[in-house]
Amino acid sequence: MTEKPSQPALEFAGVSKTFDPADARPAVSNIDFALPQGMFISLLGPSGCGKTTLLRLADGLIAPDSGTIAAFGAPPRPGPEIGFVFQSFRLIPWASVAANVEFSLRSLPLSKAERTERALHWLEKVGLSRFAQSWPDTLSGGMKQRVALARAFAPNPSLLLMDEPFASLDAQTRELMQAELLSLWSEQKASVLFVTHSVDEALLLSDTILLMGTRPGRIVETLTVDLERPRDPDAIRADTRFIALRQHLSKKMRELVLSDPQSDFYGR
Amino acid sequence: MTALYRLAFLFLLILGWFIASQFIGRNIIPTPLATLQAGARLFSEGRLLEATGQSLAVFLSGFFLATFVAIPLGAMMGAIRPFGKTLDVYVFALAATPRVAFIPLVIVLLGLGIEAKAFIVFLGAVMPILINTYAGVLAADKELVEMARSTGAPQTRIFSHIVLPGALPFVAVGLRIGATIGLINTVVAELYTAVTGLGGLLALYGNTFRMAEYFVIVICLAIIGVVMTEILRFIESRLGRWKMS
Ligand SMILES: Nc1ncnc2c1ncn2[C@@H]1O[C@H](COP(=O)(O)OP(=O)(O)OP(=O)(O)O)[C@@H](O)[C@H]1O
Ligand SMILES: [Mg+2]
Repeated sequence: MTEKPSQPALEFAGVSKTFDPADARPAVSNIDFALPQGMFISLLGPSGCGKTTLLRLADGLIAPDSGTIAAFGAPPRPGPEIGFVFQSFRLIPWASVAANVEFSLRSLPLSKAERTERALHWLEKVGLSRFAQSWPDTLSGGMKQRVALARAFAPNPSLLLMDEPFASLDAQTRELMQAELLSLWSEQKASVLFVTHSVDEALLLSDTILLMGTRPGRIVETLTVDLERPRDPDAIRADTRFIALRQHLSKKMRELVLSDPQSDFYGR
Repeated sequence: MTALYRLAFLFLLILGWFIASQFIGRNIIPTPLATLQAGARLFSEGRLLEATGQSLAVFLSGFFLATFVAIPLGAMMGAIRPFGKTLDVYVFALAATPRVAFIPLVIVLLGLGIEAKAFIVFLGAVMPILINTYAGVLAADKELVEMARSTGAPQTRIFSHIVLPGALPFVAVGLRIGATIGLINTVVAELYTAVTGLGGLLALYGNTFRMAEYFVIVICLAIIGVVMTEILRFIESRLGRWKMS
């Protein structure tokens, strides 16, 4: 893929997508944003606002009804240039941990030996080299998530799409994984589009936060996180700028949920 | 441990059989000992081995033919949707027709030899394997397929790495049902066409009230059934090593 440095890693222009033609409200409507290369952008929003839909559109897994999407200037195509970490682990249960990581390398022109070596290298990076020959079912949730991370990072994607990758983890594992992600990201110089519904996580990780609302799924606010890196998770929580941003986002999120007519909390 | 319980239960079965033979009458239910002696006699005369060989030849050729036809066809029906949607009504219709209904036609077409018998076994075994393979391919994990797509995998890799391995447990169930029906059809075929094999001996001893010999044949068929399903179960557990124990 030829890429000019000025070209954004990802660009949405007037993108809408409706799954059910009978439903007047599209899943996502009129989405406009650009992800500059090397940046970390989070999509923050309540359940059902279309975050997963945006990632699937960005990977080229589904096509928009209207509008245009470009990854490095061309329509996105699923492949090794774009890494996807799914909301659920999606490991192949009958393939060993190593074979799961290797699977994402099969679209690259690598020999079997090179694939194996690269997969092991990435398993080492996420601290799982001892489990290379284990079956995925024998791993804990946090370990499975790390395998999924290794699988997404292994092909060296220039764009990473991550769908609430840490939602199912306990607080301690989540913090470790967030740190791991940030170090991988700064090493690989990839661009990241990260989905979360945790305000803290969005503030800790991102350069920019896109706040989304429901029905139709849309971007309601774009927020720049002006906190210098590296960000220490403990120190940052005491930072007044962090606290102010956090209060603002939490209030907005609450309003979005309460104003959603399909939510059980509507009008409370 | 299981083996021990199974042996204990076998002992109970034989005990029950012995009691039944005492109460119902030895000319209807032979004692275990008489059956054993009959078995030894049939074995030393060579008739038992010859008949078992004939039956196995019929069963195995029909069953393997069914496997080689049903698995690729079922996989293709699942992979190529228009093809599957066109054929599946007919497959289900054929599966619901008692296959015994075809025996006269098979005899007219293929005669009374091993070809006809194997074909009757094939008819019985092919449907469960086909239908289960088809269902297994259709039940492919959509999330895994999407994951594979996101890595840039072409359709062929998605099929060989995700869809087909996911369908294997279904195929295994189909093979087991197919083997059972195939064994039944082996006996049926031997009774209907030229009377040979274990089915033939069953008819011979049953009609002449030689109950000890008759029991030997029944037990032989049961043993073949057990060995067959155990082999398939073993293959199944080897393929399913990844499942959490
Ligand atoms: N394949 C699909 N078919 C039909 N409707 C869909 C499909 N995928 C998503 N939707 C609908 O689109 C809307 C957005 O769904 P999406 O999964 O993108 O939400 P989300 O923001 O990821 O939610 P969550 O935080 O719960 O994961 C929802 O109303 C959902 O019902
Ligand atoms: Mg989602």
